[in-house]
This record gives sequence, structure tokens and C-alpha cells, in this order.
Amino acid sequence: MLFISSALAEDTALIDYYKSIRCLVCDGQNILESDTEFSVNLKEQIKKKFENGLSIEEINNELISIYGEEISFKPSSNHYLLWTSPFILLLLVFFLIRKKYF
Amino acid sequence: MKKTLLVPILGFLILAICTFYYLNPSPEKKTKQKKIADEVFTTQTFFKNEIVDKNNLGDFYIVNFFASWCKPCLAEHPLLMAMKEKGIKIIGINFRDDEENFTTWINENGNPFEYIIRDDGTIAYKMGLIGVPETYFITNDEITNKIQGPLFYEDVEKYL
Repeated sequence: MLFISSALAEDTALIDYYKSIRCLVCDGQNILESDTEFSVNLKEQIKKKFENGLSIEEINNELISIYGEEISFKPSSNHYLLWTSPFILLLLVFFLIRKKYF
Repeated sequence: MKKTLLVPILGFLILAICTFYYLNPSPEKKTKQKKIADEVFTTQTFFKNEIVDKNNLGDFYIVNFFASWCKPCLAEHPLLMAMKEKGIKIIGINFRDDEENFTTWINENGNPFEYIIRDDGTIAYKMGLIGVPETYFITNDEITNKIQGPLFYEDVEKYL
């Protein structure tokens, strides 16, 4: 309960943002839930930057440039090939076997 | 060649290529950071009360993140001491630590560091630290190797 009460004092925008950042030393936790030294430090640094007037988007870009995309639970949308590849392969298979079965 | 044979071959090729890249990530991906954070060279060091002198460091030096609360740091400590005896300059960055615990720790275990900087997490954040200990090998101001977790003899064999 401790983390909830201490987090409540902070900006809700910041809390929402913490939820989207992966704790790299934990298994599947975000940094809001985690109490590791890594997460505590990251929360402190992000809060400091936020209070200095940086927007969430600027902080996010900086964080990704430092830790890479695996730090964020929200991947950037340039994975079209990855998502469409199963459908492309399926169409290819249909195309190749069309004479035998259809 | 039958056209249907193309499907398994194509599938296998895609799988092989993906597996190859998954198992051998490019070195740029491993160390995104190429340079040490500027704060290392502008922050006052702890025992000497001066700023890190780049000329004193030479072409090759090591930056090591440590803390007194960190047990694996104790495990790699003898290796750092051995490297100091070989004349390698090590910058120690004390990550989120209590000053009293840290000075006792240094007095008890010996000081392998040429410079020690006490960090509240700002330098660690800029360097993309995941946890202590973490060690950076720097040649001509560029990070050439980064080891997360304690050092083993094999990692530093060539410097000893």
C-alpha cells in the first residue's frame, strides 16, 4: 500500500507514464510497481525532468535513446512488416497451392 | 522444381535469418552509448576534492559503478585491486549510497579507484545503467566494452 499512497501525491500524468516504462531488472513489472534501485532511480530522474518543465514526450524520447525501445511497453508503430508478415505468408501459400486444391 | 516446395524453403530461410540475428545482435545494439557522460569530468571527486584530470587517465581507463550495499561488487573487488597494481586507472562511481557506509566499505576493502565520484543517480541515468556493478572499458574516450554485473577473471585477463 505504501507505493500507492506515496504515488498519489504525484501528478497523475506522471503516474500514467511510469506504468508504460518497463523495469529492466524485473520480470514484466513496470517502474511504478517496482521497488528496485533501478526503478526508484528512474522515477526520481523522470520526476526531476518533469518538474524542470520537460514534456512527457521529450522525456520518453530521451529515455528510448538511452535504454533503447525495450524500456517502453508501448512500441513505436513502425512494425508494420512484423504484424502483416503472417497474412502475407498465408496469401503466398494460398497462391502457390491454388491449382491443386481449388 | 515444384512450386509447393518453395513454401517450406522460404519459411526455413526466414526462420534461419531471424534466428541468426536474434543470436548475434550487432555490437552497436549492445552498447548504445559511445561516450562517457560529461558529468564524470565536471563533478568534484570525493577523496581528492578535485575534478577528474583527463591527462592523468591516459588512453585506456575503466569506469566502474559500485555501491557498499552491493554484494557482487565485493566479489569483483580483488580484480579491480589487481588492475590498479598493473597501473590501470579506474574511475569509481558510487551509486546511491550512504556516505558513512561507503567510507567504511572503502577503508575495509581497500581503494582501487584513482577517482571516486558520488552519484545520486543522475550519471547512472545518463549512462543507461541497469544495476551495480557495471563496468565500462574506455579507449581514446570511446566506450569499447561494457560489462553488466560483476567482472570475472576472463573479462580482464588481458589487462592483468
